[in-house]
Amino acid sequence: MGDQTRREFLELALMLGGTLALPPALRAGAEPGRATDNGVAAAARPAGAAGAADGAVPCQLAIARWQTAGAAGDENRRTALALEPQVASRLTETSLAMLGGMSRFVGRGDIVWIKPNIAWNRRPELGATTHPEVVSTLVRLCLEAGAKKVKVGDHTCHDPRQSYVTSGIAAAASAAGAEVVYLDDNRYRQMEIGGRRIKRWLLYPEIIESDLVINVPVAKHHGLSMASVCMKNYMGVIGGQVSAWHQGLPDCLCDITAFMKPRLCVVDAVRALVRHGPTGGNPADVDAPLAVAAGSDPVALDAWGAELLGLHPEQVRTIVAGQQAGLGTADYRSLPLREQHVS
Amino acid sequence: VSSRTLATARPGLWMVRARRFAQGIFLLLFLSLFWSARDTGQAASGWLHVFFDLDPLVLLATWLSTQTLAGLSLLAVVTILVTVALGRVFCGWFCPLGTIHQMVTAVRPRLRRVRVGSEGFSPWQRGKYLILVGLLLMALVGAHWIGVLDPLAFLYRSLTTTVLPAGQLAVEEGATTIYRTDPHLGPLHLTALSEPVYRFLRDHLFLTARQAFSGGGLLWLLLLLALGLNIVRPRFWCRYLCPLGGLLGLCAGRTLLRLRQDADACDGCGLCRVSCPAAAQPDQPGRWLAQECFGCWNCVKACRQGALGFAFTPPWRRPQATGVDLRKRAVLGAAAGGLGAFVLLRLPPQAQGRLFRPDLIRPPGSRPEREFLQRCLQCDMCLKSCPTNVLQPAWTEAGLEGLWTPVLKPCFGWCEYECNLCGQVCPTGAIAPLPLTEKKQVHVGLAVIDTTRCLPYAYARECIVCEEHCPIPDKAILFVQTQVRLPDGGVRTLKQPRVDPDLCTGCGICENKCVFKDRPAIRITSAGETRHPGNQPILPGAVGGYGYG
Repeated sequence: MGDQTRREFLELALMLGGTLALPPALRAGAEPGRATDNGVAAAARPAGAAGAADGAVPCQLAIARWQTAGAAGDENRRTALALEPQVASRLTETSLAMLGGMSRFVGRGDIVWIKPNIAWNRRPELGATTHPEVVSTLVRLCLEAGAKKVKVGDHTCHDPRQSYVTSGIAAAASAAGAEVVYLDDNRYRQMEIGGRRIKRWLLYPEIIESDLVINVPVAKHHGLSMASVCMKNYMGVIGGQVSAWHQGLPDCLCDITAFMKPRLCVVDAVRALVRHGPTGGNPADVDAPLAVAAGSDPVALDAWGAELLGLHPEQVRTIVAGQQAGLGTADYRSLPLREQHVS
Repeated sequence: VSSRTLATARPGLWMVRARRFAQGIFLLLFLSLFWSARDTGQAASGWLHVFFDLDPLVLLATWLSTQTLAGLSLLAVVTILVTVALGRVFCGWFCPLGTIHQMVTAVRPRLRRVRVGSEGFSPWQRGKYLILVGLLLMALVGAHWIGVLDPLAFLYRSLTTTVLPAGQLAVEEGATTIYRTDPHLGPLHLTALSEPVYRFLRDHLFLTARQAFSGGGLLWLLLLLALGLNIVRPRFWCRYLCPLGGLLGLCAGRTLLRLRQDADACDGCGLCRVSCPAAAQPDQPGRWLAQECFGCWNCVKACRQGALGFAFTPPWRRPQATGVDLRKRAVLGAAAGGLGAFVLLRLPPQAQGRLFRPDLIRPPGSRPEREFLQRCLQCDMCLKSCPTNVLQPAWTEAGLEGLWTPVLKPCFGWCEYECNLCGQVCPTGAIAPLPLTEKKQVHVGLAVIDTTRCLPYAYARECIVCEEHCPIPDKAILFVQTQVRLPDGGVRTLKQPRVDPDLCTGCGICENKCVFKDRPAIRITSAGETRHPGNQPILPGAVGGYGYG
């Protein structure tokens, strides 16, 4: 009991100290997630933020882009590159390194849930699901940072036994040492979300109870919400009548995002499905921005993703609503941002 | 027990052991092929339907009904040749349903006193030949109904629609109940045991999502009835009902391997008669019934006098017994019955192709309805392998003729865009084995929007979940941005879905995912199905191809 109190006290102290040391614009993002961290993680995490005063700040939003010769010229080359596993892997590693490394988020002994988009029974090159290599790289980084167990899973729209396999994510994740979890329909539980629109909903306890949830969406077009990035990807933790959320998507997504308290989101934009989303199916609809962005501000990342899809963030109602709800800023350039070219 | 008895009992004993071993192996093989009939991400193996390939009744009836051998396996000829040479060993050594019946029969003495010398041959055993005649005559005039009583189809269908879902349900519900109550049980952590077992069964035995089938309860009762009849008579199904047994019996009349009955050694104890599951009269010297015998060797094993044994006999030597007297009148009656049944099946206008039911949606690659019914075995292999459970046994949709044939019911699932498994596993080609690229072009039906329910039309609310899920790369469900007047005078811009009939394949995922679960606001109807030129309401091609609108 005494141990518990001390840990809680330490966390609170570090949280307050870290937050106060930051300029106001940073605070929203620096807000720590839920208090399930163990002592090591709690100490390690705000240390980076506390370093802000020294100037050696890990940034708030990290964007890694692949350096292609002749810039955006050769589209075929870019599309071909998007299929290369090491491209996605290097981009993911770089973006995490810019954020200050995975150990900023993962503590020794943590159980981490990586939540990619595995909704559709589509091959990886069609851009409807997260790049398997992005997922496997994150699994590796988490394990290197000391995670006890890394689980990978998503609530799928198609049959999970097909989507997990076709997307290449099941094979890549388990090869990297993760436990691939097929969500069990019987195990959802009603939980208090306490949102403005959604008060209670069926959630998957195993995800919610993890020490860290890494949200790993793929940036893509969506018929109703225009862009599907971080906030939309959180729909994969809910069960029940999922599709009813379409009737108030921006509100519902704000509620679930606020509930999930994002600490780390990694947006896969190695490829981007720019038309006929979110399912796609035609390689011609897939663009290859060859980029990965990471950060803790889902609204900023959504805005960045929307621009990649050729949209202005103002056009995407989820982003506008997210900013209004105080979940982050749509003006992602105002954040301490680092961009690095990888080759 | 004299030394002579022991010596002569041995061959029977070893043959019975060998027979049981073979039965076990073939039952396991059948079950493992059944277990393998699922989506594995790879092309389905041609071995999955090898039991149906070996079934001569399937071959004969499908050949009679389609008058072609195209798409059929000729492996069943091997079964015929084996039967001609060795008798009905298919029934005694091979048939998995026969083995299951035999296993049920084994518990029979515990449930019912069996008197030595009772339950000999009954003239009712003629029933299976008459059923065979009736079914084959129906096939000849074009109605293929053998799947209803073919033992392999019966077993496959029963396992698919009842046994597997029931077993999986029991395991899943049991584990979930323990999982839910565990926190209330204090230090007694039952989940420590139940969860690993559940996970193991889920990941290594079941492997797919649990299926559920409409009318499964009735099929369950039929299976229980078929198994329960073994209490009335041993292997009741095989003796009295099985049309495949009848067909093989007709082939076995002059089998080479015959029972040698030594009348001098026989002491008339009747043990062979009790042990005979086929009631083939091993106890009556000179009156052994070759067409009834399963070649199981039970009688040889049972005989304490060594009076019985199987021996090869040249085919030109006539069997002593005259065989089962089928009686001309009974055969004619069965033929008339078959014709009568045919007329009954074809009486409804639907069966004559004069109307198209909206809910008769067949798997992609299905032949036109008449040809489909002339091939479909009702084995429900396609149902077993369907990854989304959309394929369901028909009860009324396809008329009596199409009982238990596969239909798509989108409330259970949808036709997965990237899947063509049903055509690959179909043993008789009722569903053509289309390559995936071709299957994606096939329309099984058409999505129709019910604007009295669809949210953006009827309730001025956002939705288009159907558009989101539409798997067609260019989207067969489009949306139109529409300004809708609200009751308070305001205006809301909504995306209202619209179906492109040229692109829509009728896969049904829109109906499955629609927020209305009771009666979805977008539903699949059979209209526009590729297989029927008569069911095409919409002229294909874009409006205004020449610019005239």
